[in-house]
Amino acid sequence: MAYYNPEAILTDAQKAPCTFELAVPGLAPLNNGSAIEHGTKLDLPLWMAEMLAVSKPAGPSSTSLASLDMPPALGPRVLNALSADPKSVELRAQAQWFYGLGERMLDLFDEEKMVELLIDMFSRQTFKQRALEIADKSQNTRTTQQGGDSGDFMGGLDETERQLFRAAHDGSNAVKRWFESSSRS
Amino acid sequence: MAMFLPSGLTPDEVGFLCEAEEVTVIPRQRLEGLELLGGPTHALNPPFPTPLPLWLALLLKKQRRANISPPPWLSAEALTHILDFETDERTAEVLSPAPALPRATSTAPLEGDPYLSLDSLEFSAPFAKNAATSRAQQDALPYHWLELGHLLLTHASDDFDDPDTIRKLLRDLREVRMSKLRKGFKVLGPGAGIKMNGVGGMEIAEVRGFVEGMVNGLRKINRSREESRKEREAEDRENGLGSGSYQDDEDENML
Repeated sequence: MAYYNPEAILTDAQKAPCTFELAVPGLAPLNNGSAIEHGTKLDLPLWMAEMLAVSKPAGPSSTSLASLDMPPALGPRVLNALSADPKSVELRAQAQWFYGLGERMLDLFDEEKMVELLIDMFSRQTFKQRALEIADKSQNTRTTQQGGDSGDFMGGLDETERQLFRAAHDGSNAVKRWFESSSRS
Repeated sequence: MAMFLPSGLTPDEVGFLCEAEEVTVIPRQRLEGLELLGGPTHALNPPFPTPLPLWLALLLKKQRRANISPPPWLSAEALTHILDFETDERTAEVLSPAPALPRATSTAPLEGDPYLSLDSLEFSAPFAKNAATSRAQQDALPYHWLELGHLLLTHASDDFDDPDTIRKLLRDLREVRMSKLRKGFKVLGPGAGIKMNGVGGMEIAEVRGFVEGMVNGLRKINRSREESRKEREAEDRENGLGSGSYQDDEDENML
């Protein structure tokens, strides 16, 4: 992802659970001051977690410093809810940059092809269905502004979906504005 | 990088560009041909109808020096006919076709052949000739149909027989076509596309932002799968097991 892209930075700042394989006394500040032992679980941002999981320190035991687990936002409960009804899940409550998170996890979990394919299918199905819903909602400007029963759906969109909504809304708004401006001149 | 300028044309820009289309004008005063950058305009000799660019036609209309003659497809019967075509259930997937292009006048480029000379160039929409003049095709909607119809109805409504019916027909046509486009969103994917033959400029501008965002999002989700597939194929090729298909060259050119 781009170095200067704010979306990429925010996506990488999301936390994922890590389990330390070794005792790392030097990183105690991460754990609120108490030393980190073998087996300590911590929530670390993705950029740090990736580095720790990938780097292998030289020495007799060549395991990596920490192992990375799937964040709860992509856990089996959420995946089941998504397969049941993609449109009713509040992605924003799970993670503000849900699809970005999914993408990063797909990058890191290279070995487990089954998991990858599963998530991939879900992302495509959920993304498409939610995107179609967004397209519908963007046409009806009055109900979305009042909130109403569409307030739950709109509040549950993650950042990429919000941008999609804005793009769709801007399109139809710009056409309306052009019609009005050309009627005046 | 966060780019705030929209890619492609915005609806305002499409509306501006449609003013370059030519319309047939019935002058009320004489006027010499104007020497413009793009070439001279025709001289105006009342009462002969003359083609002029739309922006000039609208200006003369405002100054009451000319009347604009609506193109054949912008009449109640023609629009009703097209609307029937659109709402017919057999054409639920398809938009009404654009005007047919004139026959090609140049063949294969040979040495000394005037392939790129101005008189043998063929234009397609939005540069097709006679999209809105009196010689336009009656049963097809040209590329800028929505913008042209709106501008002519706004500024030259007295030149129409029945402006209200035409306004209503234009609105209905727009709704039917937009709903067809939106139904096509369902098949969008990183590798798939919608068939949009006959779509108009303003319609594209309206859905451009959304379609871009959706295809981009699907592409990003598919990215890791694409990369691992490419890695696997590269390994296979190195091990001599791959089929070495030519499709991989196309993949490398994809952005």
